[in-house]
Amino acid sequence: MIRSFVWSRASAVARKEVFHILRDPFTLAFALVLPVVMILIYGTAIDFNVEGVALSVSDEDQSQSSRRLIDTFASSHYFFVQGAGSPAGADRDVTAERARAGLIIPPRFEKDLLAGRGAQAQVLLDGADNSTVGPVAGYLDSIQTIASKRIANFDPPQPYELRTRFLFNPELNSRWFVIPGLTVVVMAILSILLTALTVAREWENGSMELLLSTPVQPLEIIVGKLAPYAVLGILALLFVYVIARAVFGVPFVGNLAVFGLGCVLFLGTYLAQGLLISVVTRKQQIAMQFAFLSGLLPSNLLSGFIFPVTSMPVFFQYFTMILPARWFMTIARDTYLKGSRFLDMGGAFLALTFFCVAMILAATRRFKRDLEP
Amino acid sequence: MNPTLLGFIKKELIQAVRDPRMKFILFVTPIIQMTLFGVAISNEVKNIRLAAFFDSKDTVLRDVYERSIAGGWFVPARVSGEDPFTLIQAGKADAVLVPPPGGFTRAVGRGDAQLQLLTDATNVLQAQAVENYLQSILRQTVRDDLRIIPPDPPIRFDVRVLFNPSLESSIFMVPGVMSMLMLMTTMILTNIAIVREKEIGTFEMLISAPVSRSEVIFGKTLPYVVIGMSNLPLILLVAVFVFRVPMRGSFLVLVGASFAFVCTTVAIGTLISTFCQNQQQASMAGFLFMFPAMMFSGLFFPIENIPAGIRWLATLDPLAHYLGLLRNILLKGGDAQYVGTHVTILAVMAVVSVIASFRRFRTTLQ
Repeated sequence: MIRSFVWSRASAVARKEVFHILRDPFTLAFALVLPVVMILIYGTAIDFNVEGVALSVSDEDQSQSSRRLIDTFASSHYFFVQGAGSPAGADRDVTAERARAGLIIPPRFEKDLLAGRGAQAQVLLDGADNSTVGPVAGYLDSIQTIASKRIANFDPPQPYELRTRFLFNPELNSRWFVIPGLTVVVMAILSILLTALTVAREWENGSMELLLSTPVQPLEIIVGKLAPYAVLGILALLFVYVIARAVFGVPFVGNLAVFGLGCVLFLGTYLAQGLLISVVTRKQQIAMQFAFLSGLLPSNLLSGFIFPVTSMPVFFQYFTMILPARWFMTIARDTYLKGSRFLDMGGAFLALTFFCVAMILAATRRFKRDLEP
Repeated sequence: MNPTLLGFIKKELIQAVRDPRMKFILFVTPIIQMTLFGVAISNEVKNIRLAAFFDSKDTVLRDVYERSIAGGWFVPARVSGEDPFTLIQAGKADAVLVPPPGGFTRAVGRGDAQLQLLTDATNVLQAQAVENYLQSILRQTVRDDLRIIPPDPPIRFDVRVLFNPSLESSIFMVPGVMSMLMLMTTMILTNIAIVREKEIGTFEMLISAPVSRSEVIFGKTLPYVVIGMSNLPLILLVAVFVFRVPMRGSFLVLVGASFAFVCTTVAIGTLISTFCQNQQQASMAGFLFMFPAMMFSGLFFPIENIPAGIRWLATLDPLAHYLGLLRNILLKGGDAQYVGTHVTILAVMAVVSVIASFRRFRTTLQ
């Protein structure tokens, strides 16, 4: 049954869907307001530069040098010093989550230092907390240098120096890093949720049977159902873009048209994925489970949002290629911060186009098959 | 036990697992997801594409480059005499080492060498890792090649990483994934189970039936506490046997903490369901709750850094409390005071949500 695609029929389906959205202000608000609120909250909250780490200090030396060492920690802003009665007390504080790190200064600290033997202090780090242990370990090197200079006047000439230029984000601003990525994650799951239940709902309440008895083609239904949500998604992305630029000052050095093209492909892919879930499951309850399973954790954890794809085991570097969010993550970061050219991101665009077309076709095919008894 | 309630629970359990796809979602996907995410994600940055510009006489820089590649963190970037900035911008390299004119080796001999490192800082965490890695490789190479041994600083730290000395990524990540999976199943199930009955109208029937309000509410929610708890042994087995996450605390304490958490998520799911008219709304409300819960759990970024004005969001996040409990019990053996405090907080949240749900039901029924 090959009949041609008729725009008027697709647009009739779209019109009906628009009424449906407008009648349910909750969905409308969800689609437009939620991304903005999330970007505002996380943009404010997320900071990877750890500061004010609770440090439990046990000073068994009680000398001028040991006090100055503690002072070096306190004045670095990285640490918030609190007293522990004994070395075991510092250990207990870390175990009971009262502190993230411990500093134990042994009784012979100043004596060793004055005698030129070199003084050692023990630092305990909380290995159970991944988000602080790495950065804190990094701070210790510079604190060791500063303390040696301040307390023991130790400042040897350096024969060389490593000068790092952090390109595209010279001040290592966490927000510039997080916000473009967060947009991708929020929009991915939002798009799936918007469409995942629509077709399943129609199967459940029987209106799908009705729709099928009309001359509307599967592709027309799919396109008609996608279009209104795509418009919603683009509006949401626009709001988010304005907030990222105006409120958080995230630079955008790339080509806006290239980014826009990426947005459309990305939204199309995830909206179609939601429809596919809907067509396959036909039950809202299961559609919702699948939507969360395929949307929430994978786009959060495997897209390179925070954990880089290149650091994953080789299998996963290939496996994550089936995630559209991974490709759009590259496009979003590279257009916002790097200003990469379209050709540099050719692979990502090719992949997104492929997934977009594949998802729409898959949803249509599945739909066709479902029609035949 | 009250026979009405018992019948209710039985019916609900049968209904929940009747669809074979639901059985798959409930009992197989958590295991798959645990394994998948446990293997895939890590905090360690690897496979950074490094390029270095050096000529044949610049032996030290060549050595730095070769050691970097051999060390496993870096891989060579495929480049051909291009401008370092465009290399990184075009995504062909993540980091480029540029020596001073005349080469790094000669400059170190003169005593004022500046080695420039350009690195892609679009991922802040990766950029910092790159700098730290290269700093330490550089120090060792200069020491070994030129016999320039810097004097030891007079104050040194002896750093001990407690509970996870080798900084094994899976030991960090697996409790985080565990807590998220427990949240997802229980929250979505409860929420949608109630809203579905509202939508198709069977809830009205229940209300007109001779059962009390508490029988309806507990009958609809307790089954999901059971299902949630039945997930715990599955994912715990994967955590302990596949990922070798230590189990230092008591199993019973862990079960108790998980029970408190599951009760909380089911209670919050119930409360959310009272605000939703249809399943579409329920799914969005579920997302509205779960996404912030994940973000503020402490797995992605440190909770300590959240500005004071919105720190309360993290305090209200049951997932943050449960992740803290899991880490404390599994990795640290469970500190009685900490576990007590946070289980109490979870319990209070559960009770408050149950009371609020009761009130909401009363108002919506009239």
